[in-house]
Amino acid sequence: MRVRSDLEKNRRKNRLALALLTAAVIALAFVCLFVGSSHMTIAECVDALAKRGSAAQVRIIWNIRIPRVLAAIVAGAGLSVSGLIMQTDLNNPMASPSTLGVSNAAVFGANLSIIAFAGGFLDTGNHLSSYTVGANPYATSLMAFLFSTASILLILGLCRLRAFQPGVVVLAGIAIGSVWTAATTILQFYATDVGLSAAVIWTFGDLGRATYRTDLIMAVVVLAGLVFFSFMSWQFNALLSGDAAAKSMGVAVDRLRFVSMLLASVITAVCVSFLGIIGFVGIICPHVTKRILGQDHRVSIPASALSGSILLLLADTASRSLGNGSALPVGAITSLLGAPFFLAIIFSRKGEHR
Amino acid sequence: MLEIENLCFRYSRRGPLVLDGVNLELKDGEIGILLGKNGSGKTTLFKTILGIEKPESGAIRFDGEDLLRMNRRERARRIAYVPQSIHFGALSVYDTVLMGRVSYFGYKAGREDETAVETILRDMKLEDYAARNVEELSGGERQKIAIARALAQEPRLLVFDEPTGNLDIANEQLILSEARRVAREKGIGILTSLHDLNQALELGDRFFFMKDGQIRHAGGKEIVTEAVIFETFDAEVRIVKIEGKKIIINGGQKP
Repeated sequence: MRVRSDLEKNRRKNRLALALLTAAVIALAFVCLFVGSSHMTIAECVDALAKRGSAAQVRIIWNIRIPRVLAAIVAGAGLSVSGLIMQTDLNNPMASPSTLGVSNAAVFGANLSIIAFAGGFLDTGNHLSSYTVGANPYATSLMAFLFSTASILLILGLCRLRAFQPGVVVLAGIAIGSVWTAATTILQFYATDVGLSAAVIWTFGDLGRATYRTDLIMAVVVLAGLVFFSFMSWQFNALLSGDAAAKSMGVAVDRLRFVSMLLASVITAVCVSFLGIIGFVGIICPHVTKRILGQDHRVSIPASALSGSILLLLADTASRSLGNGSALPVGAITSLLGAPFFLAIIFSRKGEHR
Repeated sequence: MLEIENLCFRYSRRGPLVLDGVNLELKDGEIGILLGKNGSGKTTLFKTILGIEKPESGAIRFDGEDLLRMNRRERARRIAYVPQSIHFGALSVYDTVLMGRVSYFGYKAGREDETAVETILRDMKLEDYAARNVEELSGGERQKIAIARALAQEPRLLVFDEPTGNLDIANEQLILSEARRVAREKGIGILTSLHDLNQALELGDRFFFMKDGQIRHAGGKEIVTEAVIFETFDAEVRIVKIEGKKIIINGGQKP
């Protein structure tokens, strides 16, 4: 039957795309592992990977580079899928993890921790490391996470009152986000020079902060999200036809939107709390994959996740090779790398947008 | 099949009643047509039947069952919807139609869902379109896909909001004949709204004239008169009979 063969062609194309993306992630992970400021040769890297090289080299690979590569894979996937799900949920191409003010709230939480607690109360020295480390190495991440979660719950709670109209969610997110930004500005106004620089440096996304433990926490949350979202692929597909149509097809639209927005926001909050702000991944990657592979969530969820990992791996490798010894902020590199590609994709085809 | 009793609805607590005691009855396989001005409550009535909006009071029964208490998926297997403005995501035609089965399979489509979709595509002569992106199709074709998707729900009733709103005359005829075929061949009831009164007369079995949130007149073709049309639309028309068919002409003497 003709239907079958045409569809089989489509499916083969999708499977091939996913396989290529997976291969790219694996290949890039190794490239990323072999590039760094210590100028190890590839042979040395391979030796160190097998735990045969010098102690220092083994430490560089196993304690610095591997956690970093894993963080790039996990956070890239998480941020990208969060963006995709928010775009579908809110029927808005501009929606991304920052739409709900998640990142702004995280920045405020981290600033509060660094400026008011680590800098103001607990420490009198002016060496930078004490600001980010503080009394507990997780204090800043925890504060960032708590504030972003509180912010999400506030917005989603408010929106429940209004039956979850997507437009309302976006506007509420912008409003609440700007409150956090304002509060951050006021906090920074009263900060000491050192506290301020520590706070600003925190906001630069940095994969170097990742450890095996943070990677594990991120991986659990991101995987839970991916599994849930994949499970709901058809419901998200139905949501693309609009709320009324989706409801008439039997989809519990309000509940789906609430749960998936919450989960997408928590994924973002966890990644941002550990790594700092890594912008634009949640916009670029989903859009590029949707342009190329279409909007079927059975494909676009895994494809967005993989392309998010790819972008972050690329950006991290670039940031470490360009930074002349110290890594440039990876958040800036994702935009620098992603934006031209993004623009090329947007303008390469006419008509259809979303 | 469908019985609506004294249905009231308003969008906000202190707002005006958009539906003000609507009564309506539609039998199995009948084509019912709502006629009324813009804003008379047609779309809102559709939305309450589909469970998209919750009415303030009144009852909706489907084959004697309380539709307002039925869960979404159960309802979706009885009543399907073809909305007024149709947009899908960038999906293939096949997947778009398969989506209509979501109330049956939930998470992952099975063999019988795929068979159902293939049968519908064959029936509607859409096989050549199966692998194409719905977003690339014309308005009429998309409407046809929306009907195919609604049929995939295997409904007993199809709610069809202004099917010919944005279509040219060729596509209009295509969609109306498709609707008629669905009703006659499959015995699926249709509840729809149309602006063109001649199309309505051509297609409908029962007519519901709606004004200010109420159904003022209901019945067969015989109730479509100059006086009723004037009352509903404040528009003067003349009805002439050509070859035994009622034809409505714009303009005429005030009755």
